Amino acid sequence: MNTTMKSWLPPLALLALAVVLYFALPYNLAFLTRILIMAVLVLSLDLVLGFAGIATLGQAAFYGAGAYAAGLFAIHVWADPVAGLLVAGLAGAALAFVSGLIVLRTHGLTLIMLTIAVASICHEIANKARDVTGGADGLRGIRMEPVLGLWQFDFIGKTGFWYALTVLAVVFVLLTLIARSPFGLSLRGIHESPERMTAIGVSVYWRRVTAYTLGGGIAGLAGALSAQVTQLVSLESFSFTLSAEALIMLILGGTGRLYGAVLGTLVFMWVHHWAAANDPFNWLFVIGGLVLAVVFFLPRGIIAIPTALKRLGGRHAGT
Amino acid sequence: MTLLLNILVDGIAYGMILFMIAVGLSVTMGLMRVVNLAHGGFALLGGTFAHWLGSDLGWPFWLALPLAVLGTVALSMPLERLIYRRVYGFTDLQQVLATIGLTFLMIASVNLWQGSSLLTVPLPEGLKASVDLGFRTLPVHRLVVIAFGAAVVVGLWLLLDRTRFGIRLRAAVDNRGTASAHGINTDRIFMLAFALGAGLAALGGVLGAEILPIDAYYPLRYMVLFLIVVAVGGMGSIPGSLLAALGLGLLETATRYLVPDYATIAFFALVIALLTVRPNGLMGKIA
Amino acid sequence: MKRAFHAAVLAALTLGLPGAALADTIKVGVVAPYSGPFAIYGKQFQEAIETYVAQHGTTAGEHEIEFIYKDVGGPNPDQARSLAQELLIRDQVDYLAGFTFTPNALAIAPLIEQSQTPTVIFNAATSSINRESDFYLRTSYTLWQVSAPLAEWAYDQGMRSVAITVTDYGPGIDAENAFKAAFEAKGGEVVDTIRMPLSTTDFTPFIQRVRDAAPDAVFTFLPGGPPTFTYTKTFNENGLAEAGITFLGTAETEEVNLQGLGDAAIGLTTAYHYSGAHESEANDAFKAKLTELFPDAVANWASVGAYDGTHLIYQMVAAAGSDGPAAVEAALGLEWESPRGPVTMDPETRTVVQNVYIREVERDAETGLLINAEKGVIATVGDLGWDK
Repeated sequence: MNTTMKSWLPPLALLALAVVLYFALPYNLAFLTRILIMAVLVLSLDLVLGFAGIATLGQAAFYGAGAYAAGLFAIHVWADPVAGLLVAGLAGAALAFVSGLIVLRTHGLTLIMLTIAVASICHEIANKARDVTGGADGLRGIRMEPVLGLWQFDFIGKTGFWYALTVLAVVFVLLTLIARSPFGLSLRGIHESPERMTAIGVSVYWRRVTAYTLGGGIAGLAGALSAQVTQLVSLESFSFTLSAEALIMLILGGTGRLYGAVLGTLVFMWVHHWAAANDPFNWLFVIGGLVLAVVFFLPRGIIAIPTALKRLGGRHAGT
Repeated sequence: MTLLLNILVDGIAYGMILFMIAVGLSVTMGLMRVVNLAHGGFALLGGTFAHWLGSDLGWPFWLALPLAVLGTVALSMPLERLIYRRVYGFTDLQQVLATIGLTFLMIASVNLWQGSSLLTVPLPEGLKASVDLGFRTLPVHRLVVIAFGAAVVVGLWLLLDRTRFGIRLRAAVDNRGTASAHGINTDRIFMLAFALGAGLAALGGVLGAEILPIDAYYPLRYMVLFLIVVAVGGMGSIPGSLLAALGLGLLETATRYLVPDYATIAFFALVIALLTVRPNGLMGKIA
Repeated sequence: MKRAFHAAVLAALTLGLPGAALADTIKVGVVAPYSGPFAIYGKQFQEAIETYVAQHGTTAGEHEIEFIYKDVGGPNPDQARSLAQELLIRDQVDYLAGFTFTPNALAIAPLIEQSQTPTVIFNAATSSINRESDFYLRTSYTLWQVSAPLAEWAYDQGMRSVAITVTDYGPGIDAENAFKAAFEAKGGEVVDTIRMPLSTTDFTPFIQRVRDAAPDAVFTFLPGGPPTFTYTKTFNENGLAEAGITFLGTAETEEVNLQGLGDAAIGLTTAYHYSGAHESEANDAFKAKLTELFPDAVANWASVGAYDGTHLIYQMVAAAGSDGPAAVEAALGLEWESPRGPVTMDPETRTVVQNVYIREVERDAETGLLINAEKGVIATVGDLGWDK
């Protein structure tokens, strides 16, 4: 089996898992759809953080921009889902580009704080522009047309599931292609050694801005999916909590490998859902324990489990 | 004129509260270079102990305050040994994950123990009063916070610049291997420095509870606020944290007096402008 | 009707009916925050429901009633909708209840409309929610319902000038509009309107501005928890009461955090639909059972919203079982004696018509605890915000 085929194995396994879950858990499609949407957001973060090395805690800014753009577009212009997706992607990308011009001039903690500040300002603007966004009550009145004119959004959430899964798959393939392109390779180079890339004549700043803009666009798609499936957009789509949770899911899964982002989202949301169903008051113990256990025993994320097992097996074989 | 004085008085009083809470973070995050998102968790622990001692057991404030700080310090040491000792060597992102996980556990524990309502710390009569400044009044507890803040600044400066502990800490942080080779017990130094940061967090949590009230969700609610103070001040600079806390306190107070409707937007816009001009913070070392 | 819907869902899923033997159990899904910064709501809801069940048994009419609790974490419409879907499809609940936040309640409107599920709102107080579906019933209150009577009462007490400080988000602005409209209609003057940012931690600047304006009273609306605590403290410390400025509020002195406010709270005036100190047999019985089951529990408006909501669900189940439209029909116009006083489910707005009480915080001579002592009552107020 050659390397290219091998590298497609994990994502194909995940895709198969999604299909299996669809049939195994027909009562939980709404929850599965939320995982898929969150996975798109976490993937956008993997491009920004895992590839380009930009540590951000403000990815919700672009998710929220996409969600409001898609919602407003559906209400006032055209309720076609795919058109809404494109508009939302553009909105997320535009905001990421403009804010990236400033934010990406800095590094480290300062950069993190600037990304938080951008998301906070977006949150406050959406809150103030009550006539347009509905403010804290939420943007209501989103009624979507069928996807591609064929599939109506249904009560159980079948359409929502396949629609979100398709978007996730397209984003995944797109990001894989980007990762293998010269641009993607130069991003990794920047991540590992910005000095060297500068020395060989690569404009580090503009590549980072490009990656950030692309990441913003993808986060916008995730926001649009949420707006279209939930039919309501709230201020929480700009919240710090959302940015922070997306970051936790990414690190949990493992950065820079794309399928790590999907896996991290799946595990985090699954454990959360299961723990909250069992004890709505004290599930945070489980999440905290999970996060600590992963960082201590699998410092490179859940994607490192096979390697860790192999090592463990090797050690046993040796004794 | 009165407006200007008002902004000055309220801004400094608020800034000092911010300083009291963030200075401990400046110690762990700046001096020890740990991305310590669990800092607010230690403030929460301090506040919870103070609530339990002062409210549930009815002990006087001036006894509850030191005991709460000591209790937090006592808890921080085994935590340092069990968890943080390994966290020091992690990458930034792993530190984020580890300290967030720890924060979750702290929140869940406090929630289980004391529930999710406000955990108030009863103040003694003397602190509840207000003093007359001529053109207006100011609550006494804010003056006390200002005094504590000033004492902490002087104390930390003496400790870090004038004692063997301070010299050893800086040596240990700069190069752990070399410091060990010179016979410095770096494990002990790190544990003490960490306990100092946790103790300061607890002190700030209890003293600041009148403005930033304690409840189980405290660490996450105010995490951004603490991080902003450290970022604007410059990592690891105690005078920088003081300057940043006062500056941000004045800034936030001024926007609330002058443009209340747009205070949040104005505040963050100014923070962005400031950090763009000075990416390493007010007193940060030029990296 | 309802069963037909479930059958349709199941047919669509091409799967057998799980647990079909329990056809006579009516399930109620309670969506509320049990974790995070608003976890107190979930706790209050659950304690009140269990108190009602302890008093009235687990059957209504010929049906067993079972409650299923789902944690929504906070204002999170995505989560609220997906939980509601799960409850309706997997758990096959016949009633939904809970809902602390407006966006969460709004997000499920298309679901309950399609599945014809009666949904009892225990808290969310924006009038317009009930316009989104005929299946919403509200046992809490609306912001207009308590703010407007307070404005009229204040004018009648001789207050002529008022400053308004509200937290700058949906509910705050609703409260501001309601108070302002009612106060100006009476002939009073609003001298200053300040919208305070949601992230405010130090309220001194706003309090000082009010003090300088020297009105007869200041009306305020704040989200519960830390902001309320800090605002009332600051109000007191800056000597507004001594300067003759009356504090007018609504939920600010709610019972769970009232003791924490300390002596600073004494004298605060609020208009609200429930006081823990309300003197009636129903309230005494409710509180006695509550503290018998949960020794640390404190009854507040969230508890009574859930308690009455549970009562309403029991009545609907007894009358109509799992038939959604018939259940709503049975609920409209229903009258009962609540711990808060007499209430009626208004057939038009589907929000309870109730008394609004003017209360002042006092220290109870016997227990030494702070209470909301009822000083006046404005009888049978409906949802005044319905047409706004």
